[in-house]
Amino acid sequence: MLTILTAAVLASLAPVQGETDTTFAVPAGASLSVNNFGGSIIVHGWTQNRVKVHAEHGSRGAIEVSLLGTTVTIKASSRHGAPSVVDFEITVPQDMALTLSGTYTEITVDGVRGAISAETVDGSVDVRGGSGNIMLHSIQGSVTLADATGRIEVNSVNESVELSNVSGQIKAETVNGDVSLDGIKSASVEATTINGDVEYEGTVSDGGTYSFNSHNGDIRVSIPEGANVTLSVATANGDIDPSFPLPLTATAGKHRYTFKLGSGSARMEVESFQGDIELRRPSEMQMRHKDKEKNNNRNHEEN
Amino acid sequence: MNDQWTDRLSEYVDGELASGERTALEAHLTTCAACRGAARELRQVVARARALDNRAPKADLWPGVAKRIGAAKVADIRSRRRFSFSVPQLIAASIALILLSGSGMWLALGSRQTATRAPKPDAEWQVLNVSTGRTDAAIADLQDVFERNKSKLDTSTVRVVQQAFTTIDGAIAEARTALQADPSNAYLNLHLADTMRRKLELLRRVNAIATAQS
Repeated sequence: MLTILTAAVLASLAPVQGETDTTFAVPAGASLSVNNFGGSIIVHGWTQNRVKVHAEHGSRGAIEVSLLGTTVTIKASSRHGAPSVVDFEITVPQDMALTLSGTYTEITVDGVRGAISAETVDGSVDVRGGSGNIMLHSIQGSVTLADATGRIEVNSVNESVELSNVSGQIKAETVNGDVSLDGIKSASVEATTINGDVEYEGTVSDGGTYSFNSHNGDIRVSIPEGANVTLSVATANGDIDPSFPLPLTATAGKHRYTFKLGSGSARMEVESFQGDIELRRPSEMQMRHKDKEKNNNRNHEEN
Repeated sequence: MNDQWTDRLSEYVDGELASGERTALEAHLTTCAACRGAARELRQVVARARALDNRAPKADLWPGVAKRIGAAKVADIRSRRRFSFSVPQLIAASIALILLSGSGMWLALGSRQTATRAPKPDAEWQVLNVSTGRTDAAIADLQDVFERNKSKLDTSTVRVVQQAFTTIDGAIAEARTALQADPSNAYLNLHLADTMRRKLELLRRVNAIATAQS
């Protein structure tokens, strides 16, 4: 049956003047793998058990679709010479697991509920939705993730990383850029950058572990009222600026201070070598976000 | 060693675990040699740390911090010495303790940093010559691989990666300089180790991408 499906899919892929369109049924639990050297990969989720592929490419470009086991593989290839630039728009069953990769490729995903792996060298990764293992990587582009849950690993090298309305086990990092975590529900968060700010607004769960680290940037963390957390705060050259009283329990050298709130059940490390550390209440963070949004909108309108 | 109990060992050693958790962890220790060893080392570190003099830091951030947080009875609070280490902190704490003891023997630190200290007759802190031996060597090896493979990457990607290396190298240099002034500082030791790890990870990742494109 799979062979028949594969043949049917391949037969439908005769390119029409730089465009390819095909729609085919997939077995339950099927996963999708897309590799595109340059261009874009846009994936939407829908409620049907079918995959719809629309691809725009040059006349030399070709699209290969195959089904091996339960994995649908879609590749962009070129009949002659250099790899083709292809813009994919693919619609998949909502729960389909996705593996998306490219080199000069922008990756956008929305409306899905399955596991996602997306990796590009030069391009942004923008995902809305997903659950289970979610791994998003870019070297030269920003990475954003919203409305997702699961075991999440997100990183960039030269751009910012942004997570919003995300729950689960979270690891977010970049080298040159900010890390922004907003509306997080998690008992395990690790956020790191070398040259940028780190911002966290989310839960501090009993027994949870949280680590926020920057070398050159400031760190802003919201601590909800009533949180039970042991806070280890360290900075070599910055200031520590809480907006509420903190009961000191220990110092370690001249750079690290430990504060215990409530039972101290959760563990949180907040460290910046050069930057300041701001500890805020969620309402203050939300106010700050609103102000930031207003400023962005104003700047956008002025431009 | 990175199981669910790794980050709870410090609480266990400090006697801060709830009885149910303590029982579960003790059961785990009977089957996990790595955690057993780490717990033993934590106890040694804490015991020896408690025996140290309470030295005032040369430059203290605390007055500024205390002012901001409105802390009362600062002197009383600070006089209550409590030592609590996570496993990564153990690595840095071990460095300081070994320096104090004058011993040249290192704990089994895996691939993490090592340090040496020249003996000094008086009791003052000696500037620490932090050497991160194996990590430095690993970085150098991977940097060589990158130099050989970078032609497989787009020039703009190479530029971005090299910019990231420069950023990380700058952070490493600053951490090293800070450590020379404050060699026993646990935060600085860990920060240096973590920053070097970031460079290692980036090199590995970029080399993997370059290899995949060949």
